[in-house]
Amino acid sequence: MTTSVLLEIQDLVTSYGKIEALKGVSLTVEEGSITCLLGPNGAGKTTLMMSTAGILEPRRGSIRFAGQDIAGKAPHTIVAAGVALVPENRLVFPRMSVIENMQAGAYQRNDTAEIASDIERMFTRFPRLRERSAQEAGTLSGGEQQMLAVARALMSRPKLLLMDEPSLGLAPLIVAEIFSIITELNKDGATIFLVEQNAHMALKVASHFYLMEQGRVTFSGDPGSLAEDEVIKRAYLGSARP
Amino acid sequence: MLADLLQNTLDGLAQGATYALLALGFTLIFGVLRRANLSYGAAIMFGAYCATWASLRFQSGLLVLALVTIAGAVLAGAYVERLCFAPHNARGLRPGNAAIASMVASFALWMQFEEIVTLWMPQHLYAFPALYEGAALDIGTLTLGGPLTLRVESLITLACATAICAALWLILYRTRFGLAVRAVIDEPGAAGLSGINVSWVLIRVFALASAIGGLAGYLVVATHGQVTPMLGMWSTLKGMLAMMIGGLGSLPGAIVGGLVLGLVEAHTQWFLGPQSRDLVSYLLLFVLLAVHPAGLWPRSKPVET
Repeated sequence: MTTSVLLEIQDLVTSYGKIEALKGVSLTVEEGSITCLLGPNGAGKTTLMMSTAGILEPRRGSIRFAGQDIAGKAPHTIVAAGVALVPENRLVFPRMSVIENMQAGAYQRNDTAEIASDIERMFTRFPRLRERSAQEAGTLSGGEQQMLAVARALMSRPKLLLMDEPSLGLAPLIVAEIFSIITELNKDGATIFLVEQNAHMALKVASHFYLMEQGRVTFSGDPGSLAEDEVIKRAYLGSARP
Repeated sequence: MLADLLQNTLDGLAQGATYALLALGFTLIFGVLRRANLSYGAAIMFGAYCATWASLRFQSGLLVLALVTIAGAVLAGAYVERLCFAPHNARGLRPGNAAIASMVASFALWMQFEEIVTLWMPQHLYAFPALYEGAALDIGTLTLGGPLTLRVESLITLACATAICAALWLILYRTRFGLAVRAVIDEPGAAGLSGINVSWVLIRVFALASAIGGLAGYLVVATHGQVTPMLGMWSTLKGMLAMMIGGLGSLPGAIVGGLVLGLVEAHTQWFLGPQSRDLVSYLLLFVLLAVHPAGLWPRSKPVET
């Protein structure tokens, strides 16, 4: 089976004012993979996610998704192209009900009947959301909000799902549940590009991973190509610079 | 005494209904942008001058004048949004700086609108066709045995305000556009990520808010029968006051705040005289901000987990 590249980022530079958070990042995400991005705080992982989703405008470089350049496009255009981001801290719509959150996720779509059946599918995948369907999203627990954020992103039927630290601030049991959901989604055909602090869990599910430090990609490989304790050391602490 | 109380309450409610409409428009803009639009009232005044001109030039009917006021206000509102607010939503500008830049720019456009209308129609005061020419209805003699009158203008104003509130609720809670508006109000960062075109929502909310403000402006000038450039300042002040009394960013708060402001003004004017009317309403705002800054009907806070 030949794999094809779904997302190709080349020499991407994004800056906050004069400070460059990404200093020329290049990486690829293959179709059908779970690709993981590891690295210490401040390495630029979230900046890369936000640049890809169109929240931040890159200064230079290209982001090619399924053949078209999406760098610098508005977020809703990128959603329409088939990329959905589950943002850091989830950012559900707190005063809207669980169902309305999912409807908002399907905003680019017009197929009302299909949207309804997709919501039903989400409820099957996330049974706890069904129990809370009419509840305001702000009243959900952290784990439930994370599931809702994933469901909302899936409602746009993305070809590529970006996830920014889905395990952040969640209890270990919930983290395990989130990761089993990630594997399930991937088995059902979704390509997933994941930023994680939890290197141990991430390496378990990833088919490929990148290490990022100080705005640059410093390592790329398959899990097993680098000893896990070395990955973890570099993911948390960064490598000693010569 | 009782008849006076009732009469003031009735008049206050009608006046308060226009304040509520002004505050609703303000709140909508504040909700989606989290910024104050100081030329909100000026856009309404511009609409009223368009209608005044139409009335002098073509002797247009009441309905046409109402539509011209609304259209003028919407046009002016869209101009304000494009010039003051859209550029600063561009990515890369710090939110704090962007908010200040937008507010100051909208103040500049307020002055611009005042200059435009005074150059265009230089009289200090223009007569405006009355909403209703006939006498007020006497509803007191039969029921209370005393005088209690209901102005037909008040009745029309109350009916319009009620209809607008109902329509706004339907738009926000029963349409696709409303879902997008609520998403932008709730979590602007996630709205774009859900596929909502945020700048498209903003300009439409501006237009909707200006239309509601335009209708309020029409009801005010048609009830009072006159238009002056002061209408801009008046609309901005009353709208902001009502919004803050009700609770910043809360739509039910805007309605409550408007009605309370109207009632307080009517009663103060009767019992303490017209000079103390504004004094008392600002005092009310001051006390409220000191004691209960969230307002009378604050926006619900999401439960933090």
